Parts: sequence; C-alpha cells; structure tokens
Amino acid sequence: MGRYVVRRLLQMIPVFIGSTLLIFLMVNVMGDPIAGLCGERACDPATAAQLEKEFGLDKPVFPQQYLTYMGHLFTGDFGTAFNGQPVTELMASAFPPTIRLTIVAILFEIVIGITLGVFSGLRRGRPLDTGVLLGTLVVISVPTFVTGLLLQLLLGVQWHWIQPSVSPDATFSELIVPGLVLAAVSLAYVTRLTRTSVAENKRSDYVRTAVAKGLPRRRVVTRHLLRNSLIPVVTFIGADIGALMGGAILTERIFNIHGVGYQLYQGILRQNTQTVVGFVTILVLVFLIANLLVDLLYAVLDPRIRYV
Amino acid sequence: MLLEVRDLQVEFRTRDGVAKAVNGVSYGVDAGETLAVLGESGSGKSVTAQAVMGILDMPPGRITGGEILFRGKDVLKLKEEERRRIRGAGMAMIFQDALSALNPVLSVGDQLGEMFVVHRGMSKKAARAKAIELMERVRIPGAAQRVGDYPHQFSGGMRQRIMIAMALALEPALIIADEPTTALDVTVQAQVMDLLADLQREYHMGLILITHDLGVVADVADRIAVMYAGKIVESAPVRDIYKAPAHPYTRGLLDSIPRLDQKGQELYAIKGLPPNLMNIPPGCAFHPRCPMAQDVCRTDVPPLYEVSEDRGSACHFWRECLHG
Amino acid sequence: MSERPYDPERAIAPTGAGGAMDLAASEAETLEKTPGGPEGTGPAGKPRSLWSDAWRDLRRNPVFLISALVILFLVFISLWPSAIASGSPLKCDLSKAQEGSQPGAPFGYDGQGCNVYTRTVYGARTSVTVGVCATLGVAVLGSALGSLAGFFGGTSDSFLSRVTDIFFAIPVVLGGLVLLSVVTSNTVWPVIGFMVLLGWPQIARIARGSVITAKQNDYVQAARALGASNSRILVRHIAPNAVAPVIVVATIALGTFITLEATLSYLGVGLKPPNVSWGIDISAASPYIRNAPHALLWPSGALALTVLAFIMLGDAVRDALDPKLR
Repeated sequence: MGRYVVRRLLQMIPVFIGSTLLIFLMVNVMGDPIAGLCGERACDPATAAQLEKEFGLDKPVFPQQYLTYMGHLFTGDFGTAFNGQPVTELMASAFPPTIRLTIVAILFEIVIGITLGVFSGLRRGRPLDTGVLLGTLVVISVPTFVTGLLLQLLLGVQWHWIQPSVSPDATFSELIVPGLVLAAVSLAYVTRLTRTSVAENKRSDYVRTAVAKGLPRRRVVTRHLLRNSLIPVVTFIGADIGALMGGAILTERIFNIHGVGYQLYQGILRQNTQTVVGFVTILVLVFLIANLLVDLLYAVLDPRIRYV
Repeated sequence: MLLEVRDLQVEFRTRDGVAKAVNGVSYGVDAGETLAVLGESGSGKSVTAQAVMGILDMPPGRITGGEILFRGKDVLKLKEEERRRIRGAGMAMIFQDALSALNPVLSVGDQLGEMFVVHRGMSKKAARAKAIELMERVRIPGAAQRVGDYPHQFSGGMRQRIMIAMALALEPALIIADEPTTALDVTVQAQVMDLLADLQREYHMGLILITHDLGVVADVADRIAVMYAGKIVESAPVRDIYKAPAHPYTRGLLDSIPRLDQKGQELYAIKGLPPNLMNIPPGCAFHPRCPMAQDVCRTDVPPLYEVSEDRGSACHFWRECLHG
Repeated sequence: MSERPYDPERAIAPTGAGGAMDLAASEAETLEKTPGGPEGTGPAGKPRSLWSDAWRDLRRNPVFLISALVILFLVFISLWPSAIASGSPLKCDLSKAQEGSQPGAPFGYDGQGCNVYTRTVYGARTSVTVGVCATLGVAVLGSALGSLAGFFGGTSDSFLSRVTDIFFAIPVVLGGLVLLSVVTSNTVWPVIGFMVLLGWPQIARIARGSVITAKQNDYVQAARALGASNSRILVRHIAPNAVAPVIVVATIALGTFITLEATLSYLGVGLKPPNVSWGIDISAASPYIRNAPHALLWPSGALALTVLAFIMLGDAVRDALDPKLR
C-alpha cells in the first residue's frame, strides 16, 4: 500500500504541473497580469516596471514565469488580489463558506441520493422506480443555474421560506437550499448509479446464496447487497468533492455567497492572474487528493483490489 | 419421505411470452438417499430445485401448480418467515460457481459464521470458532489461518469446499447440489464429489444432485430422474438405467458418453436442439429429436408408464426402447 | 489511470455541467461487456445484430419516440424559426417591458420589451448548433485519438491517459470562464472550440476502453493470427464494437453541451447580445424575477426540455444497446 501511495503521488506531479500550466497559460492569454496588481487604479510606469521584474514578466511565460510563480507559491506567497489584499487572505475568507456548502451538498447526495437509489433499485420496474428514473432525468436536464434561480424565486421571493441571498456568515442553515442546488445534478447521478448497482447486484449469485442461507431479507439487503452495491457510489461521491468545490461558481453567484467561486468570478472579471491561478491551483490539488483518497478507499471497501 | 415434489409447475413471464420451465415434475428423496436429476440446460432441473429451496426469482417466475412436501408439510403454503427458517437449517443448497456464489467482500469466516449467528443466535466469536471447525471438516488446510481470507484468495476446489461447508453448517436434512463440480478441473471434481458423498453418508442426509454429467452420477447416485422440457421422462434406480434405458432420450445421453471400447467410432450425439420453452412441441416434447418417433408421439402426451415397481418412463414405446 | 484494476463504474464529474457526460460514460462502458455483439444471434438461431435488436426495442419505447419527436421539432424550428414565430427576435419595444401574455406575444415581454415567444423560438437555433457541432467535433477527435491510443498501447496510451487526467482536473465552467473571457469574437465558434477542447478526453477514454476490450476478443486475435493488417483489424473488427458506446455518450453529451452554452452565456462569457440564446435571456430576465418571472420561465423551460430530450434519447439508446439490464 505504501509503495502504491508513493507511486500515485509521483504520478500526480505531471497532472498537477499540466493542469496548473494550462490554467497559467490560459490566464496569461486573458490579459495584462500587471493591471491587477496595483488595485483598482492603473499602475504608474515605474511600479509596473518594478513589478514586471519582480514577477519575471519580462521573461517568456513558459518556463520562467511559470516556474517563478510556482516557486512563490510553494513558499506560501500566492500574490496580491485586485483589492490589494494578499490572495492567501482572500482564500482564508473564501474557503470556509465553500467547504460548508460542499459538505451540505455531499450530505444531500448521501442521504437522499443513496436512499432513493436503493429503494428504486430494489423495486426495479415498479412505479416508484419509473418515477425516480424520470425524476432524476428531469433534474439532470435542468441546468444548475436554472434550478438555483427557480428555487430562489419560489422559496425566497414568493414563499419567503429563505433569504434570497446568503449573509456574509454563510451558516449551515442558510446553505441548505444552495447546497441542494449545488448537489442537484450529482444527486440525480448518485441515485441512478445506486439504483443500477443495486438492481444489478440484486440478481447476483451471492445474493441468491444469502437468500438460500435463510437470512432475513433485511440482512440480505444491508449486509450482502448494499456492501457490494455501494462501492461504486462511495467512490463517485468521493471524487465529486473536488468537482463540487470547483463547480460552486454558479451557486455562489446566484445566492451571493462569498466563497471560492465568487472570488474566482471576481478575479476573472478583473483579470487578476494571481487570484485565478492561486485558487485554481488549490482546487486542482483538492481534486487530485480527493481522487487519490477515493482510490485508496476502494481497496478498503473491496478486498479483491490489491495495490502493488 | 423427506422431500416429495408433486406435479410442480413453474413458468416465467417475459417480454417475449410465457416460458413453461417446469411442467408437472414429481420426485422424492429419502434421508440418506441420493437422487441425481439429469438433463440439458433448460430442462427445468435447476428451476425445480430453486422452487424447492424457495429462491426462485418471482417475478418473473411463478409457481402455477403442485406441492412441495418437506417432512410431510407443503412448504408452498408456509409463510415467508417460516420458509426462511427452513432454508439453510432444514435444507441447504450448493451452487455451481462458488466464486460468484460467495460474497466477494466478506471473509469466508464471516459468511460461514453468519449461519450460526442468524439461525442459532450465536455470538460472533462462537460463530467464528464454528466456521473454523466447518472448514476443517471439509478438509481445508490451515483453516484457522485462512478463516479471515476472502473467496478470491482460495483455489476453485477450496472455494467449492467452502460452499459445501456453508451448506452443511446447520446439518440440514436435505442438500441440493446444483452442478457442484462443473466449474472445477477434472482432478479436483473427483475430490469434491467424494467429499460430498462422504459427508452425506456421515450425516445421513438426503441429497439431490443436479447435473448433466452421467459419469458423476454412476458413482454416487441411488436413483436417477431424467428431465426434458420441464418434465421427468425417466425415473429409475441407477443400476437399471445404466443396464438398459427405458426412454430414447436417456439412451441418447448414455450413448453420447465417450467409451474406451468404442475407440475409433464416431461419437453419438442427439440430433437437433432442446425445445423452445415458449413453444413446446405437442405430444411428446422429445419427438422432433427422437429416432423412434411414430405418429402417436406427435399427438399424444405420454404419461409416466410404470416400467417396474420403482421405475417409470414417459415414452409410448418404452418396451421397444428397453429391449431394443 | 490504467493501474486501477477494477473500476467499471468509476466516474469523475468535473462540474455540475460536465458531470452528465462522465456518468453517462461510465454507464456506457458497461456496453463493452454485453454478450452477443454484432456477431450475436437471437434465441431463435436467426442471426440478429446488436443494431437491429436495438432498433426493434427503440421503436416500441415511448421515451425514445417522444424525445425523438421533440428533437425533430427543435431541429425544424432551428432551421425555419419564422415558420412558427413572426417578427424579429431583436425587435424590442421598451414601452411593453415586463408585460404578460397577450395576442402576438403568448409568452409576454421581457425586461427590455422583447417578445419572449419569438426569442425563445429563435434561441433553439443557437442551442442546437452548438450542441450538434460540439458533439461532432468531440466525437471525431475523441474517438480518433482514443482508438489509436487503445489500439497501439504503450507510450501513446500512457501519454493520452495523462493528458486526459490533466483535462479532467480543470473544472469545466471555470476553464470556460477563463478562456472565453478574452475572446472578442461574438459567434458560436469560440464556444464550440472550447467545448471540443475540454470535451474530447471523455470520448477518448470511452473509445480507448472499447478498443482495448475489443482487441482482446478471440476473433480479433484470430484475424491477427491470420495476418490481417493493423488498419484492417481496426476498421473491420474493432471500430464496430467501439461505435455503440461512443454514440450513446455523444448523444447524452449533446445535451450537456447545450447546458454548458447556456451556462456560459448566463455567466456572460459565452454568447453575448445581439446573439439570441436561452442563456442570455435567462441572465437578462433574472434581475426582473419578481415582476416578470415569465421572461425567466419560458427560456428556462425550453432549455430544460431540450436537454431532457437529448439525455432521454441517449438513455433510451443505451438501454436498447445494453440488454443486460432488462
């Protein structure tokens, strides 16, 4: 196992470099990186020249600029955001709400997604199953921003159940509806994946064996059927963590949550290289580590897998 | 009689129509007796066994008639909960492919011990000790060390022994073994079959051995029931059948076994294909493939004629077959 | 990630929008395992191909028929929008802003006084164009690169796997925001180009998987032993097997691309006015959500219905091609 982890970590390096470089190049195409460094005002020529030297912007983008930037990054210097704040400070305020939002979303996926999936999988072909299948397709088809706007309109504006926009504290209770919006599409996938997996495993030989052993139905389902069926689901949800954090842009924009997505959007609008590359680098890291953890989790859940 | 199946009928409703998998099967097993049920795939031999065990997939399966008497009681009339208590404890089943029939993510110790936890209310620890004992009884070397291993870590033969151990766990009165050695290497087949026969003698269990392998049958079975298209076509003590079959289908099966004294001759094969269960031929279902078929076979369904006291054949011309 | 030995259902969803494709893909990978491929025979012994079996199933499937009808209708109004909507979608009259349903404007007017019905009808063209072009591009590029990598294996294969991983690590909406925020050309082409750029690894992965599976089939081994050339094996034996999963994933991806275009336009980096797009209309209507919700609901509904039709179509096709789950 130890050797496997080391090898996977080594394999993550090219992917990490590749994705950050890709974003770095994209952002550099995006606009003048100096413009964002002096806050809202334009830089005076002397400062601009000095900054240019400091960040090595007079050198070619690749490899010098990229390496300089990465060098700064590994010493904890993520640069300065458009408002003069260090990007790290921005991160310290932006990540907590996004993490809370992601937690709410994951909980929705687990509780609602798996429950619905198990019940419809056990009743494949019955009305409940057909309903769940169609329902999930509809949820998948409605884009996240439409779901968000509609829920905001209904629950916030029409029925006054929630505040249409989330307060700066972004507490868990305020994040329930935004979390549901963020989770919606994944939730539908978790449901479908669970259903397929349960329906398939339900007909497997080992479930038949469990029935032939005279086990109560409840035990057959929980101990034999679910143990096997949930393996792919758990790994899907694990891999989704990184994706949800990166995909929160729309949800955060609609509900005015000042999280990662919000800051990224601002950074892109204001063409601030430091903010965008810094945040994306962290997101890519989260994504890669979440995937590694999922792979390791796989081995724990399924004894047939041996990592060498 | 330990188990008696009477006129059992099972059908499957599919999108393409109704498949009549079992059409009036009757057979019985006594304690300590081995009944071999013989037939091609699709003959209904496994479906009958699943109906007896109560593990038929319903739907699409449906039992449309008949009785299954276990120790004199019709299990089809029992409530699901009573039926469940019989499964595993009163009758147990050994499946063909142990690799897929054992749960891949639970250790074999857990799967064996589960029987004692559920049916006997034992603690996990006591159940584990029982699991080791069982593994020793089916002669798995190093049982105490291997009890925590997972099915995929065992060889095919050892896995099948674990299946057998699981079936034996609660010392049931009846064991149904559905092609228990088909998935194994030939050398291992004999070992596993011997083990099963030994254990059956030791516990004086009734054994229903479902197979399409006549070679296996000759060694261990007391009686044979040959099935074709969901019906029993011949039922007889094993010696009688090998001496002279009373049904042309049985004869065909016997003739298709390679024999040393017929070296160099072309091997016999029953012509044609097994019937489509959605559209079973009228009359005797075997007539399209039968070398002895006459007009009457195309119209009249043959009853199970009494050949002798303990022997029956569902062929209009069983006499000719027996003597020809 | 070729070192993972057992992960048929594994899927990674980069974002809400990109996720659809990924899971569809992972579900479609099971197609490779289905018995009786193009050489399969029906129960009656009469040879029947995977495709004719699937077609027989689809014709009887109401989900397929309904979604196909919706799609045909969409294609029709994208080609001839004026057939059902009179007037220009760009002709707006501020004096009518936020007005409700009335003759000539069954869906009412939006915040700028544009006819919501006309704009919704004309918006179909953008969505269908983006969806179809991006899907074609992704399918061609992805299956070409994927099957080559799967067929030749070795360095090309591991290189492709790494590149795929890199693209997967970047959230789709984020990549779109960054890349498209600098584009000045206000046409569908940069949007389509971006989708092809970020979408091809998904199809490549599917194609690679199918090709590797097909390569191991006995009849391919036999063809190789008989001395068939690489190109002949690829075209005659392997491609037919790889096509089914790619088609399924591509159909579902089409819906995803439509969502993505609307999302990017909503965020202000996809298409911009004077283009007509449902995303633009939804974005423009959201400030007036209190007084004129109809301006938001109609384009949203049209968008959801369109995506639903494509996803259901893909779903039905997958079910028909995958007899395992009947």
